Amino acid sequence: MFKAVVGHSNDPDSLSAVEDVIQQCITSLAGDIPQAGILFAAIDFEHSLILQQIHQVFSGIELIGGTTDGEISSVLEFQQDSITLMLFCSDEVEIYAGVGRHISADTITATKQAVEQAKAKTTTAPSLCLTHPESLTTSGVSILNGLKLALGQNVPIFGGLAADQSKYQNTYQFFQTEVLSDSVPILLFCGKILFSHGIASGWHPIGQISKVTKVDKNILYEIDGKPALDFYHHYLGLLPPSMEYPLAVFEQDTDNFYIRAPIAYEPESGSITFFADIPDQAMIQISEAGYEDILAASKASFMNALNNYPGKEPSAVLFFSCVARRQILGTRAQEEYENTKICLDNYLPICGFYSNGEIAPIDLMNQTQFHNETFVTLILGVQ
Amino acid sequence: MESFDCEKEIQQLRKTNRIIKKQLERSEADRMRLEDINKKKESLLKQVIYELQEYQNKLEERSQELELMVFNLQMMENKMSTLGSLVADVAHEINNPIGFIAGNLTPIQEYIDKLLSLLDIYQQTYSQSSEEIQKKSNSIDLEFIREDLPQLISSIKEGTDRISNLSKSLRTFSRADTEQKVLFNIHEGINSTLVILKHRLQANKNRPAIQVIKDYGEFSLVECFPGQINQVFMNLLANAIDALEESNSGLTFDEIKGNPNQITIHTSLSEDKNHVLIRIKDNGIGISTEIKEKIFNHLFTTKAVGKGTGLGLSIAHQIIVQKHKGTLEVNSVLEEGSEFIITIPIY
Repeated sequence: MFKAVVGHSNDPDSLSAVEDVIQQCITSLAGDIPQAGILFAAIDFEHSLILQQIHQVFSGIELIGGTTDGEISSVLEFQQDSITLMLFCSDEVEIYAGVGRHISADTITATKQAVEQAKAKTTTAPSLCLTHPESLTTSGVSILNGLKLALGQNVPIFGGLAADQSKYQNTYQFFQTEVLSDSVPILLFCGKILFSHGIASGWHPIGQISKVTKVDKNILYEIDGKPALDFYHHYLGLLPPSMEYPLAVFEQDTDNFYIRAPIAYEPESGSITFFADIPDQAMIQISEAGYEDILAASKASFMNALNNYPGKEPSAVLFFSCVARRQILGTRAQEEYENTKICLDNYLPICGFYSNGEIAPIDLMNQTQFHNETFVTLILGVQ
Repeated sequence: MESFDCEKEIQQLRKTNRIIKKQLERSEADRMRLEDINKKKESLLKQVIYELQEYQNKLEERSQELELMVFNLQMMENKMSTLGSLVADVAHEINNPIGFIAGNLTPIQEYIDKLLSLLDIYQQTYSQSSEEIQKKSNSIDLEFIREDLPQLISSIKEGTDRISNLSKSLRTFSRADTEQKVLFNIHEGINSTLVILKHRLQANKNRPAIQVIKDYGEFSLVECFPGQINQVFMNLLANAIDALEESNSGLTFDEIKGNPNQITIHTSLSEDKNHVLIRIKDNGIGISTEIKEKIFNHLFTTKAVGKGTGLGLSIAHQIIVQKHKGTLEVNSVLEEGSEFIITIPIY
């Protein structure tokens, strides 16, 4: 048995919202005891209060989560300024949480601590890892590389980076009753869990192809020998770089590209900081997306996951969608969820959030990658 | 009971009010953000349109240049084709008179031998010749004529042989291709090309003759377009001579003699016997890695304006790769020389 339930409230009052969410979950649980949960919350809530309330009702639960830039669930569909909680119960799958702190000081040690903490609670080998790490203090690629190192290549990792409604000041991560920053909380699923996933973007390269000529990990200094900011000003006028207009980074000598989104810039040096690393001498192009491209991609991501699900009846769906998608979609953001809902014959508990970066394998399960501007679908269940 | 319901409704209304208020705040922030995103999109698209227009202008210019080039090439092709058949005709026409000369040389040699032997008999019979005969004999230097005549004949013979060889090579080299591949002796093609390039291979006041080392393997005729294959040999060998001459720059005649200019032509069958390999190697200036990447590019040349068109190797590559489904590769070490390797499939 593997059961997932979901609660969702858009009440701006933290206590009232969490009570709502807990009540919805209790009703759906129908007496089952949840082992673990994942909480996605907008930035303005009293997160500590919410976590305590959840733990009071579901004592001993393995809980992680973090702040977001929009929340999705099968209860209230797309919302901003809301909290949504998904709880898992199973007698076949063990689920344990761990956290690594101060990732910007030592990413490798922090990610190792998170994995070891979760693994210490069981002797069953992990099959899948969910994470909701910090996005503003450390490159997403470094966090992912740390997790891969600690988990080994055979455990696929899924998740999204914590967000703060595009203020880019502070994001928070949740671990049990703690509200943290600069941390990496994880949830390890151990045992016979079945899962499938899909990933798609919708962004297309546009304009001239240029070359990265000076870069230090995720800080891009020069493009074609000129300050990186000049490249963006050439296309965006005097407006600053932003996540909606990321760079398409081409893999060597191919037409395949991946997306790297800007997070901050330095007017004096003309450098731009990205959510993840960009290789030196890489060929790049600015890229953009329209409404239809974005909506078609999210549907493709969901359908791909659904068609590849190895079991009969899936039990839960998780979505990790990029902040930039929501920002471009504006009032049509709710269509991302609606588009997927119409593909389902039966009700499935769904929970997700808009993130500052997504984590999922591209094709092969042992090649987890960091992404920007994507829509990741993860479907969970058991035989 | 009624007051409980009222309290519940008030709570519900308060909640709805909180949600609407928050949504309003968010909606305002989102609207501003959307405006910002749209401004960026407008700017991006304007810039991309501008870039596309610039690109289109460049393409138009390039298209005009290409049209002109195609026109010039067509003119050149026409001229070359006329020249080709003219060369073949002239070579054929030369063959006839050369045939007469070569054919008459043997009887001439015999007649001269007979006349000289007759003269010998005269001299023996009339040892005391008249003063007039004596005088004439001295004035024409009869003894020298006797010695020189056979040499003259042999030099005429060598001359006619060379003209005949050149005429044959010109006919082989300038043969027009048909639509179908035909069987061709690759070695004959290389030899003809070398004969035509002889004037560039032989010694001049600056350097000794370029040594050509032929190492031909044994294989049957190859199905190909002979005219095109000859053109590839011509381009590769002419480039090898250019590379050697460039490497001679600043060296004296004797220095070059100490390390002579060499072109090695090696032909063989590939290990799987399904391909013919032709390697043309020189010990000239060599090619840098940077240039090697562009060497087969259309219009790429390192030669001075008017000296190279940048078409030779590009055409050679096209002939071997596209027309014959083979490969044309280059190995080169700067200052040591280059080797071009042609592979042509035979099955």
